[in-house]
Amino acid sequence: MMTTDNLATEFETFQGELKSFILRMTASAQDAEDIVQETFIKAHSKIDTFRGESSLKTWVFAIASNLTKDMLRAKQRWPENVTDICREAALSNEVFFQQAMQIRQTSPQGKFEIKEHISFCFTCVSKSLPLEQHLALLLKEVYGFKVKEIAEIIDQSDDMVKYYLRVARSKMIEVFDHRCSLINKEGVCYQCTELNGIFNPKQKEQEELVKIKMVRDAEKSSKEELFALRMQILQELDPFESDAAELQLHHLEHNRQVMEKHLTERQ
Amino acid sequence: MNASVASMAQEGKATTVKKTFSRETSVYININADPSVVWALLTNASDYARWNSTVVSLEGEIVQGEQIALKSTLDPKRTFTLKVKEFEPEKRLVWGDNMGNRAYIIEKGEAGQVTFTMSERIGGPLFPLFARAIPSFDESFEQIAADLKKEAETISSSKN
Repeated sequence: MMTTDNLATEFETFQGELKSFILRMTASAQDAEDIVQETFIKAHSKIDTFRGESSLKTWVFAIASNLTKDMLRAKQRWPENVTDICREAALSNEVFFQQAMQIRQTSPQGKFEIKEHISFCFTCVSKSLPLEQHLALLLKEVYGFKVKEIAEIIDQSDDMVKYYLRVARSKMIEVFDHRCSLINKEGVCYQCTELNGIFNPKQKEQEELVKIKMVRDAEKSSKEELFALRMQILQELDPFESDAAELQLHHLEHNRQVMEKHLTERQ
Repeated sequence: MNASVASMAQEGKATTVKKTFSRETSVYININADPSVVWALLTNASDYARWNSTVVSLEGEIVQGEQIALKSTLDPKRTFTLKVKEFEPEKRLVWGDNMGNRAYIIEKGEAGQVTFTMSERIGGPLFPLFARAIPSFDESFEQIAADLKKEAETISSSKN
């Protein structure tokens, strides 16, 4: 039987993953912190209902997913061209760039790396997916849960999870194929290299780009393989712990605020 | 689909019954998938063009009472504005306009199988005047049924 002491110990082993998962759902570091705490409190108070039919991690992710859904349900999803809208807003926001430069120059987590921005970009663009599809896709592709576990976490049938995954993957593959200049020369978005030029002016960009397998393989791989490589980048990055964390979280908060305003004005 | 059409029909093959003032086309197909998956495919407007090769685009929200805008490969320059008239989750969806209605029916069969039936009746007092100008739906109906079966079964049989 699971005790509250066991819970605390086990919770700690996946707390980082849980927090990054919620960040990637909400695009808010503050919400991620709050929901992780709330999840622990809820798990602690309901530990006697945990029967061990799933792993504790699956059970806890289910609690967190419900809290995240409750928070996001009333909010509109972001548009696919979120990065275009936020780029426009950033260009007219001097304070944003001053703060970003300050972080870049002084913070130990202020590096700018293209792969970090790829992960950041996916967090923004994937918020265009319907909520259930977004949850299923992240849980599967980034956090490695099985279909059955995802079905338990989001309280849907296995078949519906498969449906969400199929549609979500297909949508994200198409969006990035049309937009991302790293994988398609015709892609309209080149923000990662543009920002790299601003934050790392002396760096040889091509040398940085070839370090990224998704970019190296862009011409010879299928859209599906490139999507899998994009997911691999996310799997390998902890958005709270990496050397670029503070800079990217600052940028993410900017985009979140721009989107809240944009969506409110559109209503 | 009415009983007389059903009794004549062959799975996956469209049947059309022509009358002076109306025309009704139907098709049915058995699908090895959960009704929820078939329903999800039928009610996600923005995803139609991905799996349904007869649809150029479908805009709007497929929920009771809402209007949707359909562009079909049968006449890609024309946009059909349709109203969702019936919406019974995992069972029945009907949309249409003044000319006629299209019904999608999902019936749960044995162990993980559903029978999907699609029918469309067009007609009215003026129908004889323009009947010849309306192309046959048979091929398009067979294609939709085949596309839906393929997509739903691909999803249900996927391992990951």
